[in-house]
Amino acid sequence: MGNPKVDDIDRKILNIIQSDFPITSRPFKVVGERVGLSEQEVIQRVQAMRCSGVIRRIGGSFDSKKLGFWSTLCAAKVPPERVEEFNRVINHYPGVTHNYTRNHPYNIWFTFIGENRQEVERALEEISLRTGVREILSLPAKRTFKIRVNFEL
Amino acid sequence: MVRILPMRKVLFIGEEERAVIRALQGDIPICERPFQVIGERLGIPEERLISIVQRMKDSGIIRRFGATLRHQQVGYRANAMSAWRVPPGKVEEVGRILAALPQVTHCYEREVSVEWPYNIYAMIHCKDEKACEEIARRISRRTGINDYLLLFSSHENKKESMQYF
Repeated sequence: MGNPKVDDIDRKILNIIQSDFPITSRPFKVVGERVGLSEQEVIQRVQAMRCSGVIRRIGGSFDSKKLGFWSTLCAAKVPPERVEEFNRVINHYPGVTHNYTRNHPYNIWFTFIGENRQEVERALEEISLRTGVREILSLPAKRTFKIRVNFEL
Repeated sequence: MVRILPMRKVLFIGEEERAVIRALQGDIPICERPFQVIGERLGIPEERLISIVQRMKDSGIIRRFGATLRHQQVGYRANAMSAWRVPPGKVEEVGRILAALPQVTHCYEREVSVEWPYNIYAMIHCKDEKACEEIARRISRRTGINDYLLLFSSHENKKESMQYF
């Protein structure tokens, strides 16, 4: 399953540091105690997984709403021959954090985070003007049922 | 684990906390004492930094602290965004059913518009597309909701963490 370079011990480490990363002076020592490895061995394994790309990053994921930001999910109907240009334009905005091509006439799906609703909606109008793509849906969340970004391995 | 999140309010973020957020929204160093290294850069003693991070975690400003994986590389190769057209009276029930599934990582109720009637969204992660389709069929049978879309991603055009401050 998946990357053959990730063994069972790596999986154990990943399960811990995804959801329960120790907020303490020597986090990898604590992880080592839980999986039966030395601090140095854990650090080496985690560094190797960071280098190979299994780990994208280690850090904080913030609640944008609590920080006072406003976010939405957008879907745009972009003609295939203009997808590249459209992506170039929208990816340039720092508030566009995720952008995927999906199998639907609304083919470009992206998230947009900004200081407030007005700023984001203005940016979407600007995108529409600059790219000529008129059909862009903005689907802000009304309610969150679940956010879980760790994967059981 | 299913969490139904309550309405959240905006918290005041001071200068020191902003500096900490700037340091943690990227990638922390993988070394013996990462918080000491970051603290040195910020001019905040290690112990104090650790207590700020813990406090931000407790208050929910930090939703999660730890490693983010490239899920394609650990066996979850297919991801589908499912969009469901759910009558207003069934939103709560359907939202809870979706949220309880381990393959569902994100689930939201979203605003609708005239041209777009789908109101419930769930991200489904599976080993392959067939497994995603099977889950969606199961959800449909269980909830009685037949009007849904299963949108597979064919290309990742951008994925970054938000740089807040």
